[in-house]
Amino acid sequence: MNRPMHRLPICTALVTLLAAGCGGYDYPDAPTPPAVVDAGASAPDAGEVGGDLSPDAGSAPVDDGYADTPDTSGTISAEWQARLAARTPDYGQALRTASLRLRGTLPTLVETRFVAAAGDPRRAYEAFIDAWLEEPTLRRQMLAFWRNTFRAGGNPALNEAPAFATWLVTEDRPITELFTATSGACATIAEDGTISPGDCDNGVPVHAGVLSTPGLMAHYRSNLAFRRVRFVQETFACTAFPAEIDAPMDVGGASPYTAPWPFESIAGADNGGRIDFHDVSSVTCANCHATMNHLAPLFARFDDEGRFQDDFAVRLPLVDAPLAVRADWLPPDEETGWRHGIAARNLPELGAALAADPDVEACFVARAWNFALGKGDIVATLSVVPTSVIETERAEFAAGGHRMKALLRAVFTSDDFTHF
Amino acid sequence: MTQRRLICLAALLLVAACEGGNVYASGPAPDLVGALPELPPTTGGGTASGTEGTFDHPAALGDVTTDVREALARIEEEGPPGYTARVQSCRKLPYATLGRVLASRGVNLSGDGAGALYRESDQALGAPNYGARVAESTEVTVATASRMFDLFVQAAPEIIAAMPTLDACRIGDRGAEMFDAEGHCTADGISCLLGVPATETHVALCDTFIARASTPERGRQIAVASMLAAHFTCE
Repeated sequence: MNRPMHRLPICTALVTLLAAGCGGYDYPDAPTPPAVVDAGASAPDAGEVGGDLSPDAGSAPVDDGYADTPDTSGTISAEWQARLAARTPDYGQALRTASLRLRGTLPTLVETRFVAAAGDPRRAYEAFIDAWLEEPTLRRQMLAFWRNTFRAGGNPALNEAPAFATWLVTEDRPITELFTATSGACATIAEDGTISPGDCDNGVPVHAGVLSTPGLMAHYRSNLAFRRVRFVQETFACTAFPAEIDAPMDVGGASPYTAPWPFESIAGADNGGRIDFHDVSSVTCANCHATMNHLAPLFARFDDEGRFQDDFAVRLPLVDAPLAVRADWLPPDEETGWRHGIAARNLPELGAALAADPDVEACFVARAWNFALGKGDIVATLSVVPTSVIETERAEFAAGGHRMKALLRAVFTSDDFTHF
Repeated sequence: MTQRRLICLAALLLVAACEGGNVYASGPAPDLVGALPELPPTTGGGTASGTEGTFDHPAALGDVTTDVREALARIEEEGPPGYTARVQSCRKLPYATLGRVLASRGVNLSGDGAGALYRESDQALGAPNYGARVAESTEVTVATASRMFDLFVQAAPEIIAAMPTLDACRIGDRGAEMFDAEGHCTADGISCLLGVPATETHVALCDTFIARASTPERGRQIAVASMLAAHFTCE
């Protein structure tokens, strides 16, 4: 039943849309404008207008049929394109929004007037972005970003992973170390906000960044480790399950089987499993569980406190809640893996697979994009970012070695951010 | 049926949960047992969670979830993803950011009045609850918007009084005043209050609030609160 993977645009759209189914107030001193900026003309640019209290957006153009066939490729009609093209740069408004997101507060009056009066407001604005990306306030804002992304924080255990992610950003290290770091992922936050990487002591033989931190593993504990699997998928691949779609296959149920793995590659009542993942009587469980079951055993040795155990430490949702055994997820000879064709026999191999996955790379860019443009969580609120929208930023992100600071700069200085 | 329709059907069906093994094995009430049809035994055993014996499949990792119908309605109202992804959205001001903004504009967050209201309003203002895997809300709800306006009304007198002494509102050694000697709004005051360069429209609107109020003092408070509410409904 091995079949080649087909990437269908409509599948991508549907899977994305269906994803939901299955310290103190230490205001810094007003900084002086960056020295590299020439103040230029003393009068504000005629086009620089502050937020209009009563904007007249006009009526929205209508794309025939778009609601029936949601298209996440980014293709839009000429009318919508015209609306985008009609936007003009407003660096005063962009400065305010960027300051709220990158520093967590408003720009000062000096900063506001400086950009408004600059002969080259874009250059002045970009100089502020460059300066803010180096300020300590970025650490605070990134910590909030990662806490919200991981839905974790507020105590030392739940701070570990978001603090480590923040440290990777502020130290300008590749964000893929989130999955590949063999040490340091249990980061700590000092009272002054300083973040220090720290080693985890939860018994993991070889760590894989935040994929093995005790705080996250405890936070996402569940039967059969499926919540941990779902966390990894939704947080780092930016879609919910089903994560892999192939050509539909009739497996005798009301709905077809659509995952690329052989149907029998996961456990069911007919091959030794105590949960029937082969059930097709209502929906085809295996569409999601084909991927999930190949991942879950990797996270199943963490107990409820996130300590790594020699044996599986998660339970089944059956009477008396028995401990799971490998045969509950997979047949005996089946290997664990990140995706069909990408084996991952342990957490470090899974981390390497995540770090090399182009979908994960795109996910980081999409999350940074949504953070800047004020969207909700890409999975929870289905705030889809079409591939074509972030093509440029993604290419720069990859070429630059997956550094988040450069990505944030690219997004906060993009035309889409600065044009209103 | 085309391949695309098959996939659509499969995807829509996935909204439902997967069925467990023997749906009765987790134990129906004894007085109902006799009424149940005879079911063949299964190797799966009973399920211990979920509704009527099905396994529990939470809709989301946290508490926020958007279903397909909501997403389609949003697309219909706001535009296709290729458009909406490229324009700024109206995201709620994060709770901590709101506190910093107020503090930077002269509000004593440790004090009574606006400070007390802010401290007591974390839930109404959508603060996160990470222990429950709930991120900061990004949605501006009616409750959030109304609480924010209450907060701005309370904060207005403090902001007006403090503005000339604030570092954030200082140019050189001169601090901006929200109102001039005649009680009219100033462009610098509005710029500092909102964080964007004030336009003539801003100033005129601000003056209108004062002119229409029952007293100039009340008008100035309403002017500051209204402009804050208008600009901070979204981040």
